[in-house]
Amino acid sequence: MSKVNIKIDGKEIEAKEGQTILEVAEENGIEIPTLCYHEQLSQTTSCYLCMVKDKKSGNYIPSCSSDIADGMDIEATSDDIFEMRKTTLDLLLSEHSGDCEAPCTLACPAGIQIEEYLRAARKGDFLETLKIIKEKLPLPMSIGRICPRFCEEDCRRNVIDEEAVNINDVKRYAADLHYEDYLEELPELTDEKVAIVGAGPAGYTAAYYLRLKGIRSDLYDKMPEPGGMLRYGIPEYRLPKDILDTELAHFDKMGGIEVNCNQELGKDIELEQLKKDYDSVLLAIGSWSSRSMHTEGEELAVGGIDYLEDLALNGWSGKDPGKTIIIGGGNTAMDCARSAVRLTDDSVNVFYRRTELQMPADDIEFEEAKEEEVNFKFLTQPVELREENGKNILTCIKMELGEKDASGRRKPIPIDGSEFEVEADTVIAAIGQNTEAPEGVPTNRWDDIEVNEENYHVQDNIFSAGDCVTGPATVVEAIGAGRQTAESIAAYLEGKEYERDYIINVSRGHWQSLTEDELVLINEPVERERAHLEYISDDKRINTFAETNKTLTEQEVIEEAERCIECSCSYKEDCQLKDYSEEYKAHPEAMVGEKVLFDYDMRHPEIIRDPGKCVRCEACIKVCKEIVNEYLLEFKDRGYYTNVGTEFGKPLPTDCTECGECIDICPVGALDWKSTKR
Amino acid sequence: MIERIKVGMASCGIAAGADEVKDFLDQKLKDREDIEILEVGCIGHCYAEPLVEVETESGSVFFENVEPTEEYLDKILEIDKESTMSFRDERTGREHLKVTKLAGRIDPVSLQEYIENGGYESLKKVAKMSPDKIVEEVKTSGLRGRGGGGFPTGLKWSFLASKEADKKILICNADEGDPGAFMDRSMMESVPHQVIEGMLIAALATGSNELFIYARAEYPLAVKNMNIAIEQVYDSDINVFDGETIDVTVKEGAGAFVCGEETAMIHSLEGNRGNPRYRPPYPTDEGYKGHPTLINNVETFANVPIIFEEGGEKYAELGTENSKGTKLFALAGDLKYAGLVEVPMGLTIGEVVYDMGGAERGEVKAVQIGGPSGGCIPAKHFDVPIDYDSLESLGAIMGSGGLIVIGSGRCMVETARYFLEFTTKESCGKCTFCRIGTKRMLETLERITSGEGTLEDIDFLEDLGPKVIDASLCGLGQTAPNPVLSTLRYFKDEYLAHVEDKHCPALQCNDLVDIYLDQEICIECGQCIKNCPVDAISDDFVVDNETCTRCNTCIEVCPVDAISRVKRGDTNE
Amino acid sequence: MEVIKSLEKDRSNLIKAIQMVQEEYGYISDKSIENISEYFGIPTVEVEGVLSFYAQFKRTAPGEYKIAVCDGTACHIKGSSRVKNWLVEDLGIDDGETTEDGLFSMETVACLGCCSLAPVVSINGKVYGKLDREKLLKIIDDYRNRGEN
Repeated sequence: MSKVNIKIDGKEIEAKEGQTILEVAEENGIEIPTLCYHEQLSQTTSCYLCMVKDKKSGNYIPSCSSDIADGMDIEATSDDIFEMRKTTLDLLLSEHSGDCEAPCTLACPAGIQIEEYLRAARKGDFLETLKIIKEKLPLPMSIGRICPRFCEEDCRRNVIDEEAVNINDVKRYAADLHYEDYLEELPELTDEKVAIVGAGPAGYTAAYYLRLKGIRSDLYDKMPEPGGMLRYGIPEYRLPKDILDTELAHFDKMGGIEVNCNQELGKDIELEQLKKDYDSVLLAIGSWSSRSMHTEGEELAVGGIDYLEDLALNGWSGKDPGKTIIIGGGNTAMDCARSAVRLTDDSVNVFYRRTELQMPADDIEFEEAKEEEVNFKFLTQPVELREENGKNILTCIKMELGEKDASGRRKPIPIDGSEFEVEADTVIAAIGQNTEAPEGVPTNRWDDIEVNEENYHVQDNIFSAGDCVTGPATVVEAIGAGRQTAESIAAYLEGKEYERDYIINVSRGHWQSLTEDELVLINEPVERERAHLEYISDDKRINTFAETNKTLTEQEVIEEAERCIECSCSYKEDCQLKDYSEEYKAHPEAMVGEKVLFDYDMRHPEIIRDPGKCVRCEACIKVCKEIVNEYLLEFKDRGYYTNVGTEFGKPLPTDCTECGECIDICPVGALDWKSTKR
Repeated sequence: MIERIKVGMASCGIAAGADEVKDFLDQKLKDREDIEILEVGCIGHCYAEPLVEVETESGSVFFENVEPTEEYLDKILEIDKESTMSFRDERTGREHLKVTKLAGRIDPVSLQEYIENGGYESLKKVAKMSPDKIVEEVKTSGLRGRGGGGFPTGLKWSFLASKEADKKILICNADEGDPGAFMDRSMMESVPHQVIEGMLIAALATGSNELFIYARAEYPLAVKNMNIAIEQVYDSDINVFDGETIDVTVKEGAGAFVCGEETAMIHSLEGNRGNPRYRPPYPTDEGYKGHPTLINNVETFANVPIIFEEGGEKYAELGTENSKGTKLFALAGDLKYAGLVEVPMGLTIGEVVYDMGGAERGEVKAVQIGGPSGGCIPAKHFDVPIDYDSLESLGAIMGSGGLIVIGSGRCMVETARYFLEFTTKESCGKCTFCRIGTKRMLETLERITSGEGTLEDIDFLEDLGPKVIDASLCGLGQTAPNPVLSTLRYFKDEYLAHVEDKHCPALQCNDLVDIYLDQEICIECGQCIKNCPVDAISDDFVVDNETCTRCNTCIEVCPVDAISRVKRGDTNE
Repeated sequence: MEVIKSLEKDRSNLIKAIQMVQEEYGYISDKSIENISEYFGIPTVEVEGVLSFYAQFKRTAPGEYKIAVCDGTACHIKGSSRVKNWLVEDLGIDDGETTEDGLFSMETVACLGCCSLAPVVSINGKVYGKLDREKLLKIIDDYRNRGEN
């Protein structure tokens, strides 16, 4: 066979006559993506992902089908080619249906692979469950108790019986069971060292993931004990501190994570010095300064977070606050109210200037507060606080809702002449906290630390994450940021550009817009109500700071995990469309248009056909026809509505199980084994 | 003395009622043995159908728009000079009838008449020539493919001629799928033998021994006439050379525009889905069932006998430097004299549209040449000569010859949408860019014509269109965006009006239009109320635009033009 | 499969065979597909694949009178969408549907090649041109009466 000389990306190559450009490129380590080309099958030339440019003619040509010719000059890697391939993928994604990722995982700020850990739990493998969780979240005992459960809000189990899977309590069980005997694989420590200011959730998380990369860190915290908000902001009845101690002890066990308490930035330690002493500094100092009510006499009130901190320092005990009024509607307000309830027989009242619907506190907190007989007064705003005869007199005004404000919420407006006075022994102002950024660190208009959103970098070798960047938010959000910051710092130490994971997701839609028929249910959903934790009795609850509820039992957890309908794509690990789309930064919403709603086919006992995922590469048809010598699949219809069909739409024969070639060759899981999910 | 009466009975004639005229004449003149009544094809003056030609010893006269009545019969029999049709100099002075000179003049299915008029003379000449010489002559003529691409015919023939093979295939592409084009239909209906003669000459030149005519199934009369002609050819051994028979068969398509693409056509002939494939290998190397195969279209083959009748050099005298001979155009749309014209290459678009077609200057916005693969050419460029290269430089293509005149009352965005809808429906669905890309572009155009478009939508079309052209395997995808891109090039203001002002300047897009009844003009005759299919006009003559479907019936029935389409929301002015 | 018996059993005759069956029965049933498949020795699913590619083939029984509304360019700009709407209103069926009495079916087709007479429809292959609403409805009525007699 004669030799042919060509150039690909400027590289002179001698190749055999009759080879395609794609083959030659592959042999020479030049990667060209393709979805429809397979060595053993006849040419299809349909996906056009393998496009290259013939530099002489300027034409784009499909490299999978174009034979090489002497003197060819091919461009296989360039911005133009990248753009064309991206467009190919944008087009394919625009008609693709399926769920690249489960909605629970997407909703989780830490990004935990929830469906996977529920699957492990269902099999009773709780060590595996914990391992999956800890890939994204190092504080599962704590989070298993206090997570606001963004995942459950988006859980598709809601379509079946309007009750999400009790995801977080599965996490709590696995963590409680195995926390002490679980030890991750730890690489040897390097010489690099990071200073982390603030031993709260963000700081600990960053330390953990740095340690998994062999990077040491020293944590500094101004408080006498570590844990930050987990210790000083979240009451004992929600997160017992002995649980927290157990959880944090694990970090000591790992080695390479040093915790230094009673070290306040600007007092005991200086940022400039840390910058010099360490390879990098992470500011994870939280948001601890109570926000002002801007009312006369507000100094008579105690700040919400300050109130909780005092209780914490006192071992969750304190004096009877008497009749208490808490101003604010967030989680801190709930924590203050529910703590006060536990210390007094007088009434505890929450005043909030908007309505119940707009209250930012988690539903569960609001519900439990009501159960504990906290009173709520909505559309009420304080205007003045004064002291008379040892009592606080709070003047309030009634509000009504007006136009929407910048946050999209209807703005409360005072009603003239509606002022009234109430008497209280204790007034707690829990209307939020501000960040106190160290001197010289840039801040934004909300006084939070300004970071590069892509990589959490502040300046020089300083990074920052957690509440001090976002303002007061949830612990799980701080954990998500802490992990990514660790990745970013590690990249920085290696002298690399940190790139956030680019994850694409095509979704069938939010559960509220779906019917049961539209879900791809590989396993028949079990009929079972959601498991609920056992609570200590209400009258006991209001007298103790002991944890309000017990961890589920093993049997309950396994049964709960079985309620998961496993709604993400069975093929997400191997999907070439997903991989290429992430590589080429394609986007499912780059082009919007009709998606043909093909029915998925579950009739075969072992095989699932989901034509909505099909990219019309023809590989399944050809492998069946050309290799297996069966003729079970063929294209039907044409144009946009072309689809792979079977004889009269019948299910595939049962003995297809013995072959499975079409499944192996499908790049996107339009044909897949049901067992991938079992 | 009347010798013969010919009734134009091509599809267009029949649709206009020519069969009733023919029946009527047959009935009334059945005792007149001196008068022969003949069915003929189309002479191209479709606007005048039903058309009757009366042959006398002193020449022919024509009667237009004939009705099956005694009154007309009398006129015909008396050869009433007052009533005969006069051909306009604007047209006759410009057309150049070569390929169509027999169309509509002879009985299409009479071999004898074809031969009497010089038919099969070229074939006789060619049979004595060497294949090389035949190919050379075609090269000399400068003939280029009339089906769209304009590839030099002689060169294409030489590829096949040089192949060593037991079996070579010749296919006549008669899958005239461009909406608005009917040249090939007309030729097959009117002069089927001329097409066959051209094919047989090509067979001798290239050594082909199996010939197919791949015809659209929507052309029953063309298929019928071709089949009759083929039977006559077999009966008279016209297709037998040195004892070897060259087989000719008509194969009917089944309704897929993409099968006009040569590799798709071959797949279809083989009994497969009409998906095109990547070239090379080219059909002349590997075609129908693996045999070397050549494909030319009907008009190209119909040109071939002319070349040998007058000689290649003479043939090449007509036309422009790179485009020789004549071209057939199917004129339709907003003009007075729709029909088929044959003009020499190099005539300007304006001459065809205004002079020959009778379209009114100032009332024409553009022409669409080349159907859904072609582009719109705005009136300001009508001085451009019609040849392959000039048209391409304007973003259009010669195509097969559909020429649609777009009047000032038509919306260019809607026109682009219409063509793209056609190609989207006809995409075979193989390549990603064509299958999904055209669909996304169509959806974008639909948003624009319904008043929901944005400036980003226009950017999107300008970005994706060229990519679809670059990244499609066959001609369908490679040209599908042309109507959109050419209207964006010449009529961007109309796109912007739809997007920015939610206004269709031509008042065509229904979603952007209201119906307005001017009560100052209204004479309260009630015709509109009576005829409105959805009862959208109240007893006091107010149009309820919520109910109205914009069907235009009221506008058409109003005797005083009191009702009109106005910009949406402008009903109060 | 009597109708296709004359055809050589060569795949290149597949489309012709489907055309002949449709000509005979008006549409292609599952049974017909199986018969064609057996006749040519081509897998059923491939026959389905081929026929579903081509717009000409119908998988459901059409009406006695098959109305084709031309949506070629010339017809389109001369108002073929209105022609279609008149039919929708009159017959109560949409594109691709058949009236309950089985008398009429309607479909939109690409160019019928009679552009100079736009707008046109064809009924069982006979082309009617230069239509307006009144003219069209009269034509339909004529067919309807024919059907009743």
